[in-house]
Amino acid sequence: MPPPYAWFMGVAFVAHCLLNQNSKVGDGAHCAGVYSPMVDVLRAKGWRIEQMPCPELAFAGLNRFWAVREQYDTAAFRRHCKRLSAAVADVIAVRVEQGEDVVLIGIEGSPSMGVTITSSDPERGGRPEWPDGTAEQVSGEGIFVEELRAALESRGIGFPRVAGETHAIPGHDEAVQRARLESVLDNRPPRSADGA
Amino acid sequence: MAPDARSFRVALVADRYVNPPPGGTDGLAAAADAGWGVLQLPAEDYPARLAGPLLAEVAEQAEEFRRHGYDLVLVGERDGLAEALAQVGLALPDSIVPGSATELSRILRGRPAPAATGHSGTGQTNEK
Repeated sequence: MPPPYAWFMGVAFVAHCLLNQNSKVGDGAHCAGVYSPMVDVLRAKGWRIEQMPCPELAFAGLNRFWAVREQYDTAAFRRHCKRLSAAVADVIAVRVEQGEDVVLIGIEGSPSMGVTITSSDPERGGRPEWPDGTAEQVSGEGIFVEELRAALESRGIGFPRVAGETHAIPGHDEAVQRARLESVLDNRPPRSADGA
Repeated sequence: MAPDARSFRVALVADRYVNPPPGGTDGLAAAADAGWGVLQLPAEDYPARLAGPLLAEVAEQAEEFRRHGYDLVLVGERDGLAEALAQVGLALPDSIVPGSATELSRILRGRPAPAATGHSGTGQTNEK
């Protein structure tokens, strides 16, 4: 018998840190472990959860600096993300082939996991001294998300609907974050008569 | 800026506890209650073609946590995990097969303090 979460609702592929804030860059963990405000929504709506790997953790380690997209956009990090995204895309492909609804839950403002907002500052580098602030945030996807898009495209699979955790975004509002996630989860595409 | 709130505790959790069937043990709720992070293991019914690469990434991430003194435990089991961890020089961590979320939360809360006590960059650890 198929798992009820997968069969009846859909599968949410979530950024690693939503289940494990220990993976965050230093000073970035909002809670001890599981980030419940978004996980609770997925649970309440009966979505199966699939945790994606953290692209930055295994590549740059727990002692990594805060960084923008340009600093991670190296050939080596792209190769790393291609490897991770291939593993994730293969699982998404199976779910899609089974006719299951899929969404992607990223981290807005992240250089790797941003789904509509990433970070950018072409000048950043060298001695790590810069003023606090969020001026580097721009519209766009993080590097892992870009590579996942390419991996799905190469498999003939459309990109899923997306939502993002928004702690790093100015004016973050947990109620707005929740409403956006619920909207994405509820906005299911119509199914054909054969259930595909 | 709010202080870093991480717990330095990470549970490798079998999929059936992350996505429990009706009436099953909710490992995610237990981890949240006890303040542990979760590294989800691939679903039991995933073939090696899908599970192998995912297990390799789980092992690499577990290795990084272990190197920094984070506490690791295994909740449930997963074929291929021991081999994947061995590839990065890790043994299986202490394992728990919980009978309920309450029991799991209690066990996680009762673990000894992890060696790491400072987040990345602070250099604060109590490793002996």
